[in-house]
Amino acid sequence: MLFNSWEFVFLLVLTMLFYFNVPNKLKTLVLFVSSYVFYAFWRLDFALLMAGVSVVNYFSALKIFKTKSVSQKKIWLSTSVLISLLPLLYFKYGNFFISNVNSVLSIIDYTEELNYLKVILPVGISFFTFQALSYTLDVYFERTEVETDLVRFCTFVAFFPQLVAGPIERSTNLLAQLKKSHQFNRIHFIEGAKLFIWGLFKKVVIADRLALYVNKVYENPELFDAPTLVLATLFFAFQIYCDFSGYSDMAIATARMMGFKLMQNFNLPYFSNSISEFWKSWHISLSTWFGDYLYKPLGGSRVSYIKWVRNIFIVFLVSGLWHGANWTFILWGAIHALFYLFENWGDKLLNKLNLTKIKNHAFYNIFKMLVVFIGVSYAWIYFRAQSISDALLISKKIFSNWSQPLYLGASTITFALSCLLIFVLLGVQLLQYTKISSLYFSTSKVPPLLSALGYLLLLVGVSLLGMSSQSFIYFQF
Amino acid sequence: MYKVTSKKFIAILIGFILAFFLIDYIVSIVLSKGLEKYYGLSSNSELAIIGHSHLMLGLDKGNMESSLGVEISKYTREGVNLAERKIMIEQLLETNKNIKTVILGVDAWSFTDEGLSNNSYKLFFPFMDNESINRYLLTESDQLEFFSKKIIRTSRFNELLIGGALRGYMGNWNNLKQGKIDVVKLQEQIKSGVYRKIDSKKKSISILEQMLTTFEKKEIEVILLNVPTIDIMIKAQENKAKQVYNKISDLANKYKNVRFLNMQEPWSHKYHLFYDAIHLNPMGQKEITEEVIQYLNDTNK
Repeated sequence: MLFNSWEFVFLLVLTMLFYFNVPNKLKTLVLFVSSYVFYAFWRLDFALLMAGVSVVNYFSALKIFKTKSVSQKKIWLSTSVLISLLPLLYFKYGNFFISNVNSVLSIIDYTEELNYLKVILPVGISFFTFQALSYTLDVYFERTEVETDLVRFCTFVAFFPQLVAGPIERSTNLLAQLKKSHQFNRIHFIEGAKLFIWGLFKKVVIADRLALYVNKVYENPELFDAPTLVLATLFFAFQIYCDFSGYSDMAIATARMMGFKLMQNFNLPYFSNSISEFWKSWHISLSTWFGDYLYKPLGGSRVSYIKWVRNIFIVFLVSGLWHGANWTFILWGAIHALFYLFENWGDKLLNKLNLTKIKNHAFYNIFKMLVVFIGVSYAWIYFRAQSISDALLISKKIFSNWSQPLYLGASTITFALSCLLIFVLLGVQLLQYTKISSLYFSTSKVPPLLSALGYLLLLVGVSLLGMSSQSFIYFQF
Repeated sequence: MYKVTSKKFIAILIGFILAFFLIDYIVSIVLSKGLEKYYGLSSNSELAIIGHSHLMLGLDKGNMESSLGVEISKYTREGVNLAERKIMIEQLLETNKNIKTVILGVDAWSFTDEGLSNNSYKLFFPFMDNESINRYLLTESDQLEFFSKKIIRTSRFNELLIGGALRGYMGNWNNLKQGKIDVVKLQEQIKSGVYRKIDSKKKSISILEQMLTTFEKKEIEVILLNVPTIDIMIKAQENKAKQVYNKISDLANKYKNVRFLNMQEPWSHKYHLFYDAIHLNPMGQKEITEEVIQYLNDTNK
């Protein structure tokens, strides 16, 4: 079920009606039923898979909590991690593994090939697996209380607003909120509705429109030259941002309308003036997940320099692999790791040369913002390309043939509108960056009437310019 | 934190919804009027041009109006099949009572169902207040789509239609398809069998007959105009194309008020006039328009 569908509107209204009108002890049950209806609307069997992952983590955490023996705790943790990751490995990485084995076999002239698995990827599997696992890990590290109510725990894993594309919530935040009985709050409803409209606009008006041009170019990069490839890449940078942050906004907004506060997943990432800042502002729930459950257990930065470099690479490569079972994603992760290290070396060089004062200059910061944006956009080539060879072809072409005219897409009007919408997005973000307009639920300096008019226009924009309900990019992860 | 009382909340909610529907209504009316101007609907036009993109890019309305001294409605839409053109005719005849002559686009694919847009019915949503269009849309779209567009009027538009509305207000009917066809690429495509196949569906022939009967009843002169298609494309299926042209010619002979103007030659081999295999560029449009003006002047003498 997509957020930009009438089915979702119907489910949300029904859920809210029930949720705010049933006795407190039944509230979680309402959310549990809605969440499973939301997921089963797509595939019932995969809803059962999600239930299985939830049950495994629920019982493992109980066992970890109850047992005093450290070795027993470790066994239960390992069992839980292994069983939870099995479906993810099978559905998401099975064919990637087979493809690589087959490539190796062909290199050594072995004629037999392994058969590919005939599977489709359960929507949001990476998200609910990571969410369930984070709870078990937190119980193991004694960072959260154990949950004894199975329905509540299953609701935590399947909470429909953020089920299929995050933000990946922690038990300390969401599970704790599920224990409270929320009443209808008019302010929360208005805040949620406003954020939902903005998220919807980003998704159906901006992202889906940019996708038309990007798909056309990236499906046949050999047909296009530098100007078109550069523009398609820049369009993709905005497309993926609007698509994913739009979804996150709608998820946070939906939860907010029901009284829940989910974590912020984006914080104006394209206004970052360093790669490290970019990763603190882009898909924050995943970055912090990897920070807490991978980077820190590896030793983080409190290790030797070589090991730190290793840790950086591990985190970015795993992050790349998390996004998709393709070498393009791994390479994308590797590029970001390199950017991160270059930046670190650059900072050290500035310190050595006693040029740290330059960091206070506005022009320097704007210049760095631009450099970071260009770097991040360049890395998107590897994220979006269909294969490594495509990505390398695009990389090569954008540094060579600039003489060809720019391809304006199938419709000049769509192209012009796409460009205009990017300016609208940047304009709004500039207002948010300068704290004039509200970002998430922060206070706004815009007069209420003007703000209401703005949201009205956004809603009319959605109705007038909204594209058909294409799936969200991040569903595939 | 500011407070919102129940009364204020309900007032905000109702006010917002009402304001949304008000803006929605105003915007949709403005756009509909623009589209009417663009297509020449609800006007006093005596001559109407009806067809799909082939004819849209083939004839220059502005040039024809100034040369012939008559008001023209150019109701041409991308990807519409014959059945949809029939709906367009019904709509046009409902709104424009002075039509005396119609130039109806035909081509070698006139009786082919496949290859045109599957969702071209969406182009008709802005006119769903019209009874015949409403009936047609009810059969083509699913109920949720139909009723959501009934309620939220701006959702009936897309940027193509918004562009049309803006062009209507600006009085701009120019052919914007600048550029020339890549003949080598087209030949490669044809060699590999990637081209639209010509077919002769009885149902489509019957629809054309129904259209011509309607015009006959209303005593409207009809010119079945075949704007040239590039010869490479026609040669790939020459016999089938000939059969279609013959059928159109037969139909024209059957009705007193109908003439068939086949402009395939001598233009189909002038590759510089084509934007792609089917559509003319502004240069091609100019040549064909002048020829049609000449034809109309000659026949009206």
